[in-house]
Amino acid sequence: MSPAAVDRTIRPPAGPSRPLVLPDFTRLPDAGDLPVSFAPRPGVPEVSLRLVLEAGASQEPAGRAGLAALAARLLTEGTADRDAQSMARWVDRLGVGFDASAGYAVTVVSLDALTDVFEDALEFLATVVRYPSFPETEVARVRGERLDEIERQRDEPAIVANHALIAELYAHGLYGRPVGGTKDTVATLDARAVRAFHARHYRPDRAFALVCGDIGADRVAAGMAARFGDWSGEAPAPAVPGAPEETCRRVILLDRPDSAQAEIRVGTVGVPYGTGDHHAIVLANAVLGGLFNSRINMNLREDKGWTYGARSSFRFRRGPGPFVVRTAVETGVLAPAFEEILGEIERMRSEYVSDAELELARHALTLSLPLQFETAGQITSKVSRQRIYGLPGNYWESFRARLEAVGPEEVREVCRRYLPADRLVLLAVADAEAAAARVAALGDVQIRPVA
Amino acid sequence: MTSGESVHFEFETHLLDNGLQVILQPDQGAPLVTTHVMYHVGSKDERRGRTGFAHLFEHLLFQGSEHVPREGHFKYIQDAGGTLNGTTWFDRTNYFETLPANELDLALWLESDRMGYFKPGITQEKLDNQREVVKNERRQSYENRPYGLAFETVLRNAYPEGHPYRHPTIGYMEDIDAASLEDVHEFFDLHYGPNNATLVLVGDVEPATALERVKRWFGDIPSRPVPERIVVPSPLGRGETREVLPDRVQVPRVYLMFHSPSFNDPGFEATDVLTFLLADGNSSRLRKALVYERQIAAEVSAFTWPTEKVGMVFAVATARPGVDADALEAAMREVLDELRDGGATDEELEGARNRARRSLVNQLAAFGDRADSLAHAAVLRGNPSYVNESFTLYEELDRPAVEAVAATVLLPERLTAIHVVPAAASGGGGAG
Repeated sequence: MSPAAVDRTIRPPAGPSRPLVLPDFTRLPDAGDLPVSFAPRPGVPEVSLRLVLEAGASQEPAGRAGLAALAARLLTEGTADRDAQSMARWVDRLGVGFDASAGYAVTVVSLDALTDVFEDALEFLATVVRYPSFPETEVARVRGERLDEIERQRDEPAIVANHALIAELYAHGLYGRPVGGTKDTVATLDARAVRAFHARHYRPDRAFALVCGDIGADRVAAGMAARFGDWSGEAPAPAVPGAPEETCRRVILLDRPDSAQAEIRVGTVGVPYGTGDHHAIVLANAVLGGLFNSRINMNLREDKGWTYGARSSFRFRRGPGPFVVRTAVETGVLAPAFEEILGEIERMRSEYVSDAELELARHALTLSLPLQFETAGQITSKVSRQRIYGLPGNYWESFRARLEAVGPEEVREVCRRYLPADRLVLLAVADAEAAAARVAALGDVQIRPVA
Repeated sequence: MTSGESVHFEFETHLLDNGLQVILQPDQGAPLVTTHVMYHVGSKDERRGRTGFAHLFEHLLFQGSEHVPREGHFKYIQDAGGTLNGTTWFDRTNYFETLPANELDLALWLESDRMGYFKPGITQEKLDNQREVVKNERRQSYENRPYGLAFETVLRNAYPEGHPYRHPTIGYMEDIDAASLEDVHEFFDLHYGPNNATLVLVGDVEPATALERVKRWFGDIPSRPVPERIVVPSPLGRGETREVLPDRVQVPRVYLMFHSPSFNDPGFEATDVLTFLLADGNSSRLRKALVYERQIAAEVSAFTWPTEKVGMVFAVATARPGVDADALEAAMREVLDELRDGGATDEELEGARNRARRSLVNQLAAFGDRADSLAHAAVLRGNPSYVNESFTLYEELDRPAVEAVAATVLLPERLTAIHVVPAAASGGGGAG
């Protein structure tokens, strides 16, 4: 065995590429008022289902932040005929993965089951979505667990930093607090509020279900019809948060004495999904901080060795989600790290990015699509996002062409428009005594205790 | 309810003349290929005073080689639309990338250059840079994180001085500081030969063509003497050990670790199922007792580590406010003792088996995960077919098998207990 030698001195050429094949969802007959779509994914014997309900945090009554999340968490805690432990024995015996969690826009109920128990798993899912009883004792217990969790999050510098930044950017707006609510609002939630929220928002007409996996369409249609065929009812229209007031440049230190590192965030209010310059923003962020090879990570990690990693992202939502840079560095380099991040943002605004960087970003974002749509669970998650945010049906099919149409001018333009230096909030969870003097040059510094 | 679903993957194994083991598992389900190289070396093979070295070394293998420029791995793979990473563990180090299937040569080029031509690319400057990155990883993922030092405290108590499993993979700061370029060269020569490695390809490749290409890229890398496998003494016989670790936390968390069957021992699957029975799902023993009935724990978990030479099974619980660590441990021990002495019911065992089985299927769905499972089975068990056999092994676990493991593992003399407690309450200093 002595095959021809290979040329190690150049990157080996790629073989012929294959056309991009994305999962093809077929609309099945509605189950009652619930639209159902299905895509086959043969391979391992599993099925993924996502049921998306217009029951997100945006639908909560004033002062009841955390209600949507609490309702989702309590779905499995009892029905009129079964108590919480009886429900638990049911699902645990089936061995299926069940989850229900609220976001700002919607609540997603997900099921991951082996194909052989699909109908039994569906029976469980339909029962908890349609007939939860929210027993007083379980509501009290889970509310207590939530309040504990909120307390424990104060121990985590990364979570403290995330929550503090969104509060800075959005003040009292929806995106200014975590989906799960705050100490004050969660404490006010009770069984009555949860039942009312469920009755009003767990309705099929604005909901949809996606099923994908190693199973036939007929079996899915029959299973859904049997459990949701008589489900009807209208949900209130979604509420979309508008843009908050513009932020202004400030430096905030949350004091955590003797921290081993400083947890850094640089952020501002970003944009919603669906703006005309969406693809330019996606590409700009990939060059700036969306990938391992992006400028911020290459600078702070690979060049300076100051951090384990640094990333940026635009959080696209129905309303304008945040733009955030996140990293953690030694306190001693807190100020230079801020300066480097600001410098990289400024460079995006003042210079054109190189063709090579643009090309790398485009490739990373588009050639990876088969990998992002590999498993049934990935497929239902990605396609449900597409529908939640009202993206066009051909969003992924046209993704590559749209990115290829973006040039360096537009990349610079979106950075100029959305990342103005005077609106960036600089925040760190750090030992304030060690850090305060160092960051004084960056702006008006406010020092606060970890709330 | 009995289950029907299981999976079976057809694969080929080959041994190249230089000792490189090659496993090919074709699957046309997605136009992708995962390339996974696992070296049979991990933190347990580090020499004294060099804890964390295997992991630091892993970082260096992303810094280029003779024909691959610095940061080339990330750049080329991202440019091709792939993902990549590397991880280090007690027993092995792995490097893997999933790419569009037409880029197999790219992965083979990068991995073979790493294996055959690493040394000319390494410099003191790269070592110093990645040393700082790794120290920041330790700060970020362990020191500045609540409960972040718990596992290394478990290990320090569970194993005697000098034991290969006594230190964490991330290593200690002073040892990371001490690593030299000579250490790098020596470690590479000792542990990174083809005959200490296994290459797994999973995905849309034709096996004969793929094998031919693997031979082209890897066939000329000479084999080297493989170091003698280190002797791992039994950790048993020391009796119960425990420590209270003050940390910057508001509520205590209790870590109970029992020495258990290793990934290679009979009883591993039963131990795994035991962890599902204990803490996976709201009806599981620990969740039911501590979260629902007594409401003294906010979270519980149980898991076993698939380690090569010694086994460890954990039960972990976080207290609700006002509950102290002693009370929480006592309640956990009550549940564990009851299972050990009273056994399990058929119903809960059936559920635990079904949940374990789904988790097995889940780990085999994505090509990257499947390659990881095949590599672990091949390297740590010497049997890649374990990936297929495990379904039957789990399916056949009956009550006596699981009860036998509970009865022999959940014993005080096998226990290490760590109480992470709020620093203020203990009078000690913070961990930061």
